Amino acid sequence: MKKTKLGEFEELVLMTVVVLQADAYGVEIKRELEDRLNETLSVGSIQSALKRMEEKGFLTSEFGEASQKRGGKRKRIYQATPHAHKVLQDMKDVRSQLWAAMPNIVTG
Amino acid sequence: MQNRQNDIRPPQWSLLLLRLFVREHFLEEIEGDMEEVFMDDLDQYSIKKAKWKYVLGVFKLMRPSLTRLLSGSQKLNYLGMIQHNLLITLRGFKRHKTSFFINLIGLSTGLAASLLIFLWVNDERSVDTFHEKNDQLYWVFANFQLPNSITTWNYTSGLMGKSMKQDFPEVEEAVTIGNTGFFKPKGIVSNGESNFELDGLFASKNFFDILTYPLLIGNQENILEDNESIVLSESMAMAMFGNLESALGATVEWENQFFNKTFIISGIFQSPPKNATNQFDAVINYDLLVQTDQWAAEWNGGYAQNFLVLRKGTDIEEFNAKIENYMDDKINNDRFTLFVQPYAKNYLYGEYDNGVQVGGRIENVRLFTIIAIFILLIACINFMNLSTAQASKKMKEVGVKKAIGANKGSLIFQFLVESILLASLAVIVAIILVNVLLPQFNEITSKELEINIIDFILPLIGITLITGFLAGSYPAFYLSGFKPVAVLKGKISNLRGEEWIRKGLVITQFVLSIVFIIGVITINRQIEFTQSKDLGYNRENIVTFARKGQINENAQVMLAELQKIPGIESIANMAGDFLWGEDSGSGYSWDPSSKDDDNHLFKSPKIGYNIIETLGIEVIEGRSFSKEFMDDKTKVIINESAVKLMGIKEPIGTILDYGSGGTREIIGVVKDFQYGSMHQQIEPLLFRFREEGRNFVVKIQTGTEAATLQQIEDIYTQFHPKYDFNPTYLQDDYKALYSTESKVAILANYMAIIAILVSCLGLFGLAAFTAERRSKEIGIRKILGASHLVIMKILTGSFTKTVLISVLFALPLGYILANNWLNNFAYTIQLEWWIFALAGLTALLIAWITVSFQTFKAALVNPVECLRNE
Repeated sequence: MKKTKLGEFEELVLMTVVVLQADAYGVEIKRELEDRLNETLSVGSIQSALKRMEEKGFLTSEFGEASQKRGGKRKRIYQATPHAHKVLQDMKDVRSQLWAAMPNIVTG
Repeated sequence: MQNRQNDIRPPQWSLLLLRLFVREHFLEEIEGDMEEVFMDDLDQYSIKKAKWKYVLGVFKLMRPSLTRLLSGSQKLNYLGMIQHNLLITLRGFKRHKTSFFINLIGLSTGLAASLLIFLWVNDERSVDTFHEKNDQLYWVFANFQLPNSITTWNYTSGLMGKSMKQDFPEVEEAVTIGNTGFFKPKGIVSNGESNFELDGLFASKNFFDILTYPLLIGNQENILEDNESIVLSESMAMAMFGNLESALGATVEWENQFFNKTFIISGIFQSPPKNATNQFDAVINYDLLVQTDQWAAEWNGGYAQNFLVLRKGTDIEEFNAKIENYMDDKINNDRFTLFVQPYAKNYLYGEYDNGVQVGGRIENVRLFTIIAIFILLIACINFMNLSTAQASKKMKEVGVKKAIGANKGSLIFQFLVESILLASLAVIVAIILVNVLLPQFNEITSKELEINIIDFILPLIGITLITGFLAGSYPAFYLSGFKPVAVLKGKISNLRGEEWIRKGLVITQFVLSIVFIIGVITINRQIEFTQSKDLGYNRENIVTFARKGQINENAQVMLAELQKIPGIESIANMAGDFLWGEDSGSGYSWDPSSKDDDNHLFKSPKIGYNIIETLGIEVIEGRSFSKEFMDDKTKVIINESAVKLMGIKEPIGTILDYGSGGTREIIGVVKDFQYGSMHQQIEPLLFRFREEGRNFVVKIQTGTEAATLQQIEDIYTQFHPKYDFNPTYLQDDYKALYSTESKVAILANYMAIIAILVSCLGLFGLAAFTAERRSKEIGIRKILGASHLVIMKILTGSFTKTVLISVLFALPLGYILANNWLNNFAYTIQLEWWIFALAGLTALLIAWITVSFQTFKAALVNPVECLRNE
């Protein structure tokens, strides 16, 4: 797990990218996450997580269409790489195994 | 709604900021994201809040993964680059030792000189600023209208402070002290056996509440409550009692010109700091001055200096307009115009001409600031010049670096590193130099300056960076601009331009140096002139001393005793100080038919018998004061200027009207002589007669000085057992009148020498470089039969032209500056042509000597040596 070097916040962003599919670009990811986490995030935090993961090979990206609302600037649509899918799966496995091994007391 | 939104743009400056630091590669999407968020926010919040959130968002974008790197997108090995640059720089220093040392010596000397001046200027500017309420503290001044002019007084009535506090809401507090010019008690305090000479101050009760002279012992509330209380300075209390504790509550006896009285020490204050103009050892209640002289508490009379603490935010111009005519209601006289001036400002801006502020010490501060900048400039020019000159040597390095991909920025960086490193070395050397020279510097300036590196660390870093940048900028930008191909092929593109710039720099340098030389000659000549000018009286072997203590002691008894001493050729007494031109009075009129011409101001010293004779002042009409005629206060003697002013044909016997003071009869006319210092013109003067003057003027027989002075001292101590006898020679006192100018002169001399030395260093380096660059030409010329002389002529020629051009520029500039300075004096030397010729020739000579070393060396070289490597 250590080898994957995927932080908690990065993991959340990565999963959002997967969930959003063709809509996975900066602000949309931010909105989705803000809804789910119920807290405010900055453009900077999302963007820097995206760039870091792209550098590490979890994401690829290409320009999408421009829109009036964006002052004519194109969106960059992100897509998770197979490697990312595998890492996410690994993490889920590790977690569910751990959950399974947990005594009942904790869940209350 | 949609339309409105489209018109609203995010704050432009933060958009620009964003574009500046976000990586180009990411810019489009991030900008888009930001815009989208902004639009969403506009729907939700007010425009203001949306904009605010946008700005905040931009700052949150400053993350390492999003921001661009300083040099493109690749990561460079910065440490390695700096290491590499440092290594190259150090190797460069080693390889070009001569220019390295020339640069180092030049820069560090220049820096040391400027640092010293900076310390001095800093100290001058700090004078009197130590009071906590400094920014609210103002001094009440008065302009007094005379028939033809206005004089400005820093003293006003003793009632002024209190009264102003009542009448003007702007005045928060007011302090009144006895006029430090005339009403400063000086005398001997005794504590049992031991006597100490004490300089005191009359002050209102709230003195220590408002001015920052911290109390060490004593209760601020009632420290000056009664007339028996005295507050001593720490140093005086220590001297008298050895410790502070036993001083409190002790009694001392103080005898001075105002009273002889016993005081109880009610407190001790920290001695005034060095940078305070007002130095005193003791403070007593102002009421004591009133006790001795009732005028001290009247609206008539200038017995006090009044300081106001004005409320914060007071408009000073408005306040000055309000108080302008304040005196008119107080006395039956509308000649006073009051105004306030920041307290601390008076030290630097203390001179008034006809009621208008005209400068003061600030002029010397400015003068030396300019000198410091010039010296630093000359030193920087040297550096620029030498580095530019060496460009050809570095060209290959630049070419190779560029060919393998160094960009302009990194080359500029390298050259700047080089010059900043050199500047840092120079600063270190300069600090050492300053530390070594500071004691001498303090002696010249009579200051007690210290250099505290920690206080100066930031300015020093600033100076290092600025000097380094200034000195290195031209070579850096110039060298980095070379085209690699041209350089490697050996084609130097703009050598012509380089030559011009180098010459321009040398010219600037020499213009400054020549101006310095002119200035120094002028200053020294003027000082010499003031010392040697015939003043109309005799200064040789004249000794003066003053009686101290109670003012009512009769001078005549002591005078009679002194007259018995055989070594005294002549002796006299007077009130006021001869050299300071003390005592003037107005209120004289001589033409009863005209109302306009009353109240003329005369210099009017009060003299006893024999002064005119002792000083050798020439009586041209009538007679001098004499015992045989039983002269009294009603007789006066005037000088030629006064005769001219009055326009009277037969002065002797003319009766002057002196208002309520009665009449005065003119009994003699003396030839004009310089009363006071030479800053002032010879003014109309009127000798009044007084027998009880406390200042003695003695002409001693040549050869008997020591014995006679001893005899005078014996008599002096009989009359004043408590006081030290300290006579001074009039000649020395006269010199002291010009101490400010002398200090300026000495400082200017040193600075000029430094400026010239640094210039010469530069020239020396440049000559060495030229000789080296033209070594092949010299070799060929020699082979073809040129003599040493011809070669020296060729090499010296271009420098001569440069210096001659500098002379052309420098002469008018020097003339203007010297003339400006001389305008401070009423009597000055003429700026003769030879001063300028001398300055020009000196510069030329110095340049030749400097250059000839190098050219001579070059001319002597065996041509085989310089032609062999080809």
